[in-house]
Amino acid sequence: MSLFEAAFGFGLVSMSVIALAAVGFTMQFGITNIINLAYGQVMITSAYVAYYLNRAGVSIWIGMIAGAIFGALFSFLLNRIVYAPFQRKGTTLLGMVIVSLAVSLMIANLLLPIVGYYSTSYHQDPGGLIRLGGIALTSNQIVIIVIAVAVMLAIHGLLTYTRLGKAMRATAANPSLARNCGIPTQRVVDAVWLITGALCGLAGVVAALNADSFAIASGAGFLITALAAAVLGGAGQPYGAMIGAVIIGMVTELSAAQWSPEYKDVVAFGILVAVMVLRPQGLLARRGALAAAG
Amino acid sequence: MKTFRVRMSSVAVSVVAVLLAAACGGSTSSGGGLGSGDLLVGVIAPFTGADAGLGPAYYAACLAAAPSINNNGGVGGRKVKCQQFDTRGEPADAVPAANQMVASNSNLMAVVGCTSDEAATVAPIIDRAHIPMFCMTGQSEFNKTPLQYFHRLVPADIYDAYAMVGSALYGPGHTPYKRAALVFGNDIGSQAFVQPATNAFTGLGGTIAINQPINLTSTSFRTEVTAMLATHPDVILTEALGAAGTYLGEVKTLNGGQMIPFIGTSATIDPTWFKQVSDAIGVQSVVDNYAGVDLGYSFSGPAYDEFITNLNAAASTFADAPKYKQRGSTLHLYDGIIMSALAMVQTNSSDPKVYNAKIKEIANGTAGATVVNTYKDGVAAIKAGKAIRFVGAGGENQFDQYNNSVSGYILVKYDSQGNEVKVASLSPDQTAKIAAAGGI
Repeated sequence: MSLFEAAFGFGLVSMSVIALAAVGFTMQFGITNIINLAYGQVMITSAYVAYYLNRAGVSIWIGMIAGAIFGALFSFLLNRIVYAPFQRKGTTLLGMVIVSLAVSLMIANLLLPIVGYYSTSYHQDPGGLIRLGGIALTSNQIVIIVIAVAVMLAIHGLLTYTRLGKAMRATAANPSLARNCGIPTQRVVDAVWLITGALCGLAGVVAALNADSFAIASGAGFLITALAAAVLGGAGQPYGAMIGAVIIGMVTELSAAQWSPEYKDVVAFGILVAVMVLRPQGLLARRGALAAAG
Repeated sequence: MKTFRVRMSSVAVSVVAVLLAAACGGSTSSGGGLGSGDLLVGVIAPFTGADAGLGPAYYAACLAAAPSINNNGGVGGRKVKCQQFDTRGEPADAVPAANQMVASNSNLMAVVGCTSDEAATVAPIIDRAHIPMFCMTGQSEFNKTPLQYFHRLVPADIYDAYAMVGSALYGPGHTPYKRAALVFGNDIGSQAFVQPATNAFTGLGGTIAINQPINLTSTSFRTEVTAMLATHPDVILTEALGAAGTYLGEVKTLNGGQMIPFIGTSATIDPTWFKQVSDAIGVQSVVDNYAGVDLGYSFSGPAYDEFITNLNAAASTFADAPKYKQRGSTLHLYDGIIMSALAMVQTNSSDPKVYNAKIKEIANGTAGATVVNTYKDGVAAIKAGKAIRFVGAGGENQFDQYNNSVSGYILVKYDSQGNEVKVASLSPDQTAKIAAAGGI
């Protein structure tokens, strides 16, 4: 079995996990104009919600749904209680970044006494290895890929074919104009927080399941990869985030196969820096926030 | 366009903020007399980040030592308190933490912790402040350190690495392993094991199948594990704190459900490590496949009895404290704090410049010194005018001229409850062969 073939297979899994997280993150920014640095902490909190259910005997797949629901409600409340009041007061974008950073630290420190600093794992058999040529994936990993593909198609369908999706794109492009055209932008924003929060929660459980072992400190790592993919693809661009996830996910695994694994993140983030130098707006930013693909 | 620029600027600032966040997470009188007011023991160690499992073990040591002192009159009536100073396991975060600790607390009597992650940066700061420190670093740069206030109650990493090689070659229950995979975190502390282990293992006829420095912050090591498995090692020598569960879990998955025997450093004798790894691969897989090395503790005697009593009582402050009942570093730092307090009593001084040198004397003992095992007995002996030698919960200490105390290793495993079980000792002959091969 070629190491590169194997790494390619693992790259499919990594990019699936990253895409789930990055698309939600970038949609939040694109529509609500908030760079939510608490995203990683919401992910890990959702992962723990699924963990406690799993420890109580609930299947991790049910826990995944619960994590998504928790992420949706938590993100919705986070916006209504914390972010929206600041925005109404005219807090600048940079100010909101600091607010979200503070929220991130608060969540982490509130969570710590509850879950402890221990790494832990879900009770979930990874399933037997399924081989396709040089690629060997567990059934869990294949399910993760299928979930990611299904969610990406659903996001595409939402943005392209539904009234809500069109309203989201209109709100992202020009909220005042959208409001004047009769679009209930507040409800749209609420819907965005629910949808992206669900993505965030789902991504948290998937990332924790994929990692075999996770801890409260994992939240920061989740955020960094999601943020990197979002920025690489063009902030606010769901399709860009998908492309960013493919690049980051594949490059980390293939570079680990090619060079010393300690440098795999260096290579991935080196590409990010290079793209930011050559194309600061990201790969797809020219289309405008939440623009449709194609 | 302006809006776009502002948004992009914000994104850039956010990226920087996240990267920065990820990179980070009484009075003492000088001269004679013990002074008044509370005394402070600073626990400077990682409490967040990849090595977050280390700090709590040291904090537990302080929480156990404080009542040993406080319930027996304190240090001349002064109570000892414990405070955490989080280094996040990063030198860049450790320096401000150390500076803040020293600058804000004039009542520091001792500092414990300072792991290999941050010792090189914080030890000089603490030394300049003239505060006795007990560091849990195995870095060889401290083997002959000029720092007068530095103390180390554990052997250098090089000995831990040799003990792992000893376990691989002479451990019970298996033929000598011939091909070893080295899987160590890419942090400073973990990488210190690689060269001595390589020298000793290859010097005694073994082969290093692969040397994998792994990024402890990664959430997956599947490609690394696939590369490692392709080299067909007999055994994995490892210290990858924080990532062990993920890595070893993927070993089991990608190896068709079968584990490869793995040997951990003494830092893997730790309840957080056991939980992490047993959650990932199953308790039975840990019991069957794990071997570790540790210093030879008796876990008995009057010093240990008092330690365990206080550790259990500390659960009211820190719920996890009792889990560190067999953690070597917890025992040693407990002893270090008590020795510091005894040194203050013996010199009748709260000035570290005065009592620092006495710590070594109390640890090593002098001719005719009375052996004491508890703070209470030590104070009584001092008041009776006797010289003392403190033999604490971690056993005897013998500081050399650089304040390094070295003792022998045992080979251990875990039982299904996560307790350390001794399985063998390395003979002096075996130890000598390994050390010779390793180049000491």
